[in-house]
Amino acid sequence: MTIFEQLRGAIAATLKVPPDSITERTRDEDLASWDSLGHINLMMTLEQTFDLALEVEDFEKLRSVPAMIEYLKGQGIG
Amino acid sequence: MRKSQNQFESLLTARSRSELRSRVGGSGVKVTLPQAQQLVAHARSLESAVQTLRLGIVHTYTSDLLDPWLELAAALQGLDLQTYHAPYGLSPHEAEPHSGLVTHKPDVTLLLLRREDLHPELAKPLVRFDRAQQETIAAEALERLRDVVGRFRAQKVGQIVLTILPPALSSELGIYDAQSERSEHAWWASLKARIGQYLRESSQASLFLDLDDVLERVGRSTFFDPRLWYSAWFPFGAEAAREIARRVIGIGAVIKLPRAKVIVLDADNTLWGGIIGEDGIHGIALGPDYPGNAYLDFQRRLLDFQQRGFILALCSKNNPADVDQVLKEHPHQLLRDEHFAARRVNWQPKSSNLQALAEELNLGLDSFVFIDDSDHECAAVRQALPQVEVIQAPSQPVQLPGCLDAVARLEVLSLTAEDLVKTELYAQERRRRESKEQAEQGGGDSRDYLLSLGMKMSVGLNDVSHLTRLAQLTKKTNQFTLTTRRYDEQQVQEFIRATDWLVAHFSLADTFGDSGIVGLALIHIATPERAELDSFLMSCRVIGREAESAFLHTLLRRLAEAGVKEVVASYIPTPKNVLVENFLPEQDFEKCADGSYRRDLVKTPPRAESYFPITVEVSPGS
Repeated sequence: MTIFEQLRGAIAATLKVPPDSITERTRDEDLASWDSLGHINLMMTLEQTFDLALEVEDFEKLRSVPAMIEYLKGQGIG
Repeated sequence: MRKSQNQFESLLTARSRSELRSRVGGSGVKVTLPQAQQLVAHARSLESAVQTLRLGIVHTYTSDLLDPWLELAAALQGLDLQTYHAPYGLSPHEAEPHSGLVTHKPDVTLLLLRREDLHPELAKPLVRFDRAQQETIAAEALERLRDVVGRFRAQKVGQIVLTILPPALSSELGIYDAQSERSEHAWWASLKARIGQYLRESSQASLFLDLDDVLERVGRSTFFDPRLWYSAWFPFGAEAAREIARRVIGIGAVIKLPRAKVIVLDADNTLWGGIIGEDGIHGIALGPDYPGNAYLDFQRRLLDFQQRGFILALCSKNNPADVDQVLKEHPHQLLRDEHFAARRVNWQPKSSNLQALAEELNLGLDSFVFIDDSDHECAAVRQALPQVEVIQAPSQPVQLPGCLDAVARLEVLSLTAEDLVKTELYAQERRRRESKEQAEQGGGDSRDYLLSLGMKMSVGLNDVSHLTRLAQLTKKTNQFTLTTRRYDEQQVQEFIRATDWLVAHFSLADTFGDSGIVGLALIHIATPERAELDSFLMSCRVIGREAESAFLHTLLRRLAEAGVKEVVASYIPTPKNVLVENFLPEQDFEKCADGSYRRDLVKTPPRAESYFPITVEVSPGS
């Protein structure tokens, strides 16, 4: 599974949207359930799925799929 | 990582919801958010929800992030959860008749408050106050809390569950706190005790859910996630959120699902280590050394459950004499013969024995929780009797003592005098039955036997001092009940206060003991000449002693004396109350064309007290 596929599954489950609605370019404003609370849940999911420890400062930077992928690559994942 | 992934995947192989719940509850596996969604989906795919639970949340910090965990806990209990989050804050408007909360018609209203909501000074250090000032703050905080709870209690908001968030930081004085006369910890412990006392004595259907207990369980650094707290005002880390949600939904399960009443225990490798038939009384593990000490602690835990009002029964495949010997002679055995309300020790299938126990105890199988260490026995009972909650005893003895702690239906929201002596009451009943069998073998008739019991019935009218027990009777009684209407304490209190309702209860004493309050009638005096029997019910514990008729006719006599000429009643059949199918005709009620029953008190006067083998004493309520 590519890192995007893993991410897509995790986002879809957390925000309760079909996986197809998430592309490599999706960002928060594209999905109604990716609101401020959905975002916090996503941050928790990201941590738990990829075994990371995010800082509060990272939360704001990770509001899109490309930003998440870049972050994960920076952490040596994928 | 690998280990927990495998553990998680093994959860998804559960074949029934109760098995899944039992595994998730006992596993201690950490669950991520996407995994929680997977568990929800799996639980729903196994069985559809049996009940809807309507939850209202009033909060002074972010509450929405609890949702996925609440959903998980609800799905595991088979509850379809409908949650309403009030707008942020402790607005008095939410406690008004047409508020969002009240129109949501919650079964449970969760109050998520912080300490400073009780008193503004609590936002600042408490230790700067001396003892007298601290006492003033405590009194004012309690007053504020009474006001808040009282406002919500005045509306129909279901069971109130009050929580107060522990502070994110440890004690103000650090390690010295425990010794200080200004100790924050001691102050808080004392305030909590007063909150508990207030809710117990003055507020119906209100429960203090102590988050400190969750904090102790998971630890402060796991309980709080400072990132979420400071960035989103959501305090809880995933593990704490899941545990709090589990407890809140557990309260909903106690309210909405059939009441658990009986804990049925296997013996070998459940009450003690080893097999009594093979290892013998000196060979089984039970005592001060490992693994016997874990079994001992489990037995102690079972006595705790007895104090919560659950009765214990034994169901074991063994030679009866072997098990008897342990109960009577083993020096470390805590559970003795008198702790079991009934037992089946034989070689029959456990499902047949459970059915026999249900008949003997006069309780439905859906009130049974069955504990056994064997995969095979658990699966067989789940298969044959899906209404029984089956908990598999962990194979590692060290896991055993806590294995029932996460079983929601073994929580209680109130305790009555009857609950504390429940097993003793059933044991009395067992002796009564034996005495009756002896009398019958001696050729005496059943009236002689009943007279020999020297029964005395105390009837109480419109008595508010037993609200908890009266409401509990409407909720727990399934068999001897004409209409199976459920009422909470608040509703019963309203009936007692209403001038056109009569609320009567009775208890029954005889030479073997006192039953406690076991019967209830709710009568609506519709007009001065016409009364309606809204509810008439009795605990099956006292069945077969003519108490139901003696009670009914006592009430009918009072109604007749007050000028009532006619009593209307109905029998609403359920799968469980076939026992009372003919009760009304037997009491001279006539069936009407519309299916209701009518009894003319003038043409057919109620029966006299002397008709029954019971002396009756009536005390009018306050």
